[in-house]
Amino acid sequence: MRTVIIGLDGVPFDLLRDLAESGVMPNTASVIADGAFRKMLSSIPEVSSVAWSSMITGKNPGEHGIYGFTDLFPKSYNMRFPNYNDLKAQPFWERWPGKSVIINVPSTYPVRHMRGAHISGFVSVDMQKSVYPSALLAELEQMDYRLDVDSQRAHASMDLFLTDLDRTLDARIKCYRYLWDSENWKTFMLVFTGTDRLMHFLWDAYEDKDHKYHKLLLRHFEKIDDVIGEIADQMNDDDLLVMLSDHGFERLDQDVYVNYVLRDSGFLRFKDSHKITLNTIAPGTKAFALDPARIYLNCKDKYPCGTVTQDQREDILAELEELFGMLQLDGRKVISQMHRKEQTYSGPFSENAPDLVLIPAGGFNLKAKPNAPVLAEKDIFTGKHTQDSAFLIVRGFADDSCVPETPSISRVVSIIENCHN
Amino acid sequence: MHNAKCTCWNCPAINLAGKVDFRACGQSIRQFEKSPDSSQETYIMAECNRRPQLGLFDPMGITFADCPEWVESPYGYLLKNMRVMILGIDGYLGWTLALWLGSLSCKVSGIDNYSRRDCVKERGAHTVVPIARMTDRLRRAKEVLGINIDFREMDILDRENLREFIDEVRPEAIVHYAEFPSAPYSMIDVEHAIKVQHNNVIGTLGLLFAIRDLVPESSLIKLGTMGEYGTPLTGRPLFEGVFPADAVLEWDDRQWSMGGELTPRDPVSFYHVSKVQDTFNVYEACKYWWLRSYDVMQGVIYGVHTDQVAADPMLRTRLDLDECFGTIINRFVTQAVVGFPLTLYGAGEQTRGFIGLEDAMQCITRLIAKPPEPGQYGVVNQMSGYTSMRNLAEIVAKVGRQECGLDVKIQRVENPRVEADRHPFEPVFDKLPQEFGFVQADNPEEEIRRMFRLLTRPEIKQRIEEKKHLILPKVWWSGVKKEVEQIELLRQEKREPVEIVGISRSAKKARELAADVNPIQSS
Ligand SMILES: NC(=O)c1ccc[n+]([C@@H]2O[C@H](COP(=O)([O-])OP(=O)(O)OC[C@H]3O[C@@H](n4cnc5c(N)ncnc54)[C@H](O)[C@@H]3O)[C@@H](O)[C@H]2O)c1
Repeated sequence: MRTVIIGLDGVPFDLLRDLAESGVMPNTASVIADGAFRKMLSSIPEVSSVAWSSMITGKNPGEHGIYGFTDLFPKSYNMRFPNYNDLKAQPFWERWPGKSVIINVPSTYPVRHMRGAHISGFVSVDMQKSVYPSALLAELEQMDYRLDVDSQRAHASMDLFLTDLDRTLDARIKCYRYLWDSENWKTFMLVFTGTDRLMHFLWDAYEDKDHKYHKLLLRHFEKIDDVIGEIADQMNDDDLLVMLSDHGFERLDQDVYVNYVLRDSGFLRFKDSHKITLNTIAPGTKAFALDPARIYLNCKDKYPCGTVTQDQREDILAELEELFGMLQLDGRKVISQMHRKEQTYSGPFSENAPDLVLIPAGGFNLKAKPNAPVLAEKDIFTGKHTQDSAFLIVRGFADDSCVPETPSISRVVSIIENCHN
Repeated sequence: MHNAKCTCWNCPAINLAGKVDFRACGQSIRQFEKSPDSSQETYIMAECNRRPQLGLFDPMGITFADCPEWVESPYGYLLKNMRVMILGIDGYLGWTLALWLGSLSCKVSGIDNYSRRDCVKERGAHTVVPIARMTDRLRRAKEVLGINIDFREMDILDRENLREFIDEVRPEAIVHYAEFPSAPYSMIDVEHAIKVQHNNVIGTLGLLFAIRDLVPESSLIKLGTMGEYGTPLTGRPLFEGVFPADAVLEWDDRQWSMGGELTPRDPVSFYHVSKVQDTFNVYEACKYWWLRSYDVMQGVIYGVHTDQVAADPMLRTRLDLDECFGTIINRFVTQAVVGFPLTLYGAGEQTRGFIGLEDAMQCITRLIAKPPEPGQYGVVNQMSGYTSMRNLAEIVAKVGRQECGLDVKIQRVENPRVEADRHPFEPVFDKLPQEFGFVQADNPEEEIRRMFRLLTRPEIKQRIEEKKHLILPKVWWSGVKKEVEQIELLRQEKREPVEIVGISRSAKKARELAADVNPIQSS
């Protein structure tokens, strides 16, 4: 009995259902028909690094320690980019028996020894440290394997970006085919991340059938669906096929800057108004935010200019909740949910958790951006992550009750384990 | 400390890993067409080669003052056991710097092909301060000063071996002295002109590619010369490589800002042309590949002393008297020692910038301590003061008389060069003192006194006597082949020589302004 996990980064439940039903993804449609298809909750916050770390460990951030793409060095405002070395819990492939093939899972760079083969995904910097075992490097080079599409290209030319995206996908497919046959695996996990990139830039092209890139976008999903069909065909009856996304997506109307709000209302101060970065946070600051909307109280003994004491904590949190609860733009509430640390995270690393995480209402995208000159603006991106509309498909399980009605991403591993039992 | 606030962005021990744009979960590895995004939409990720446990991080955060790898030194924070490669390590400056940095706990490596020794021999000359063979120098450095130098005999033009060595050492700073340093040598004939330009230009160009491919984060300290600028007769200030932000070009009733553009160069020999060509090559490399470099427009160096070279006769650095390889003050002192009238070319009113040997070492160390940012091509005019040749000759004569009771005469001879021998001169040399904390430590008269003390030692005086016939110039820019003739022997001046001007006009003005604004503080 083998397990195959296919990740479609950032693909929302509704979009997948539409593409399946409209015939763009017929193979996916038949997997759905034979399995359980659920809307799934993503992590808090709803970014890939946290979501995938939660997925592969089956733990919440309080246990695995990853709270975002960025974090701060202890006792400082210096920013770092946590990676696989910072993941404090074991991924499933280190726990499950047999060999695994793991391709392109975000936040698993740099790779380390494991049973099988592992190629890390975004953010992966150095090819040498992205591939295990290193003997695979030569093979990948032959395939013109790319760790990720070069996102800067989209700013220069959307066509160039899409060509690059397509090549990246082709190489990824070659890589999966090669490892499917060459490794004697028990678990196979493959994540497509181009979907997320596409939707950041071209969500409007998905919604608008006349959009210049509408067909191209569908073509990308067709290609992925071909792979899904190919994989489904090669599986045995007692194998388990799991498909999922790490978070959902929707149209982006406006970016809203959390640190702007904090500055504007006196919670956040900087030493030098010309050089606004977290490194120039001034005494008197009560709270600051890291991307996308993780608010940290500037606690005494925790940060260089920290002044907030344990006694003040409750009051400040209440003030913040009031502030953001009332925040409106164009007559609409900006924030839909607020998650306090204690209610959201549990485990040995919850000390490092943000004190408050904001989840935006439809259409709003939250960003930290300390030096934002305005509260909100619109840039070239047309899509944004959502927390409550990822998807999960499980096919080939004995009992429907193995998959809860509203699963969350940190439960996927235990769902798979339950299915096997 | 002048470099306390620098961050990993300046540090050569980091590896710039790429750029991420978390708005679109995007990454762009090894793409730095833009500097750190001031709108903070994208982040540059760095890894520390010395502290890999930090993982990937934002290079703008950690300062030198915060980082345990940067430790205090008299010249600012310096990377612990910083790996510095000196190209041209057997030369006058290279050897001195090797011992200087070694004594600051840098890990020094270097190459030299001994071409300087060969060229001096070719001219029939020798260094008047005897220098040991490299193997003996290295052994002695270890015995006397405890300094280990990783030396390879190598031509910088041997690109394959150079690359191999760079890859092996992974230098964090590269000081590039390995060029032929002589204007007259480049003017001897076509063969010499080509030899100098080929060596200097092609050597540097090859080096730039090697740095790009192997150690792009390393800082390149490249030696240029003040002679690249020439001496414009308009009296326009000689800025530090590029025009200041508020410089304006006016023409045809229109105006353009010149801020940040390279200033005009007006080299004064084929050697100087090679330095100008280097300037452009380095400038472009910084632009194309995000290399980092300081181009050091160095004034004429004089002197024999640092604590390290004076520690043992076998550790001495060279000193030349011949027309090609002797530099002006050094030459004057050798002439004075053997009673040869100090030679001024033409009117003798040529004005040049100068800096003592120890101060030059201090400056280079400070530049190493504050590496340029990725992509930065920085220029510094490295001098501690300027004065005319004639005044210099008078200073040397005065010290020679006082120190050794020598009867020092000064003569004017025909000028074999094509140059203005009377001209305005307003160098700007503010960056080293203002941005790198350079404070002049050498006292020119004191250093000249020290030179007299060393060069009047019988064995050295003897070596000067042996090569006295090589003092007068024979290389004419015009190509004429003859020795220059004396125009006049100057009478000894009654008045004292004037002081060397030790501060630029711009810095002086700023200082006066500050004093006006805040009279209490300045008193
Ligand atoms: N000394 C000065 O007054 C002065 C003034 C301005 C600029 N500079 C510049 O500073 C640098 C060092 O000057 P210096 O006075 O020490 O000269 P130097 O000749 O004593 O030192 C240069 C060294 O580089 C070596 N070298 C030359 N070409 C080489 C090659 N192809 N491969 C390997 N080694 C090579 C030489 O053998 C020599 O040992 C030169 O670039 C010079 O132009 C010197």
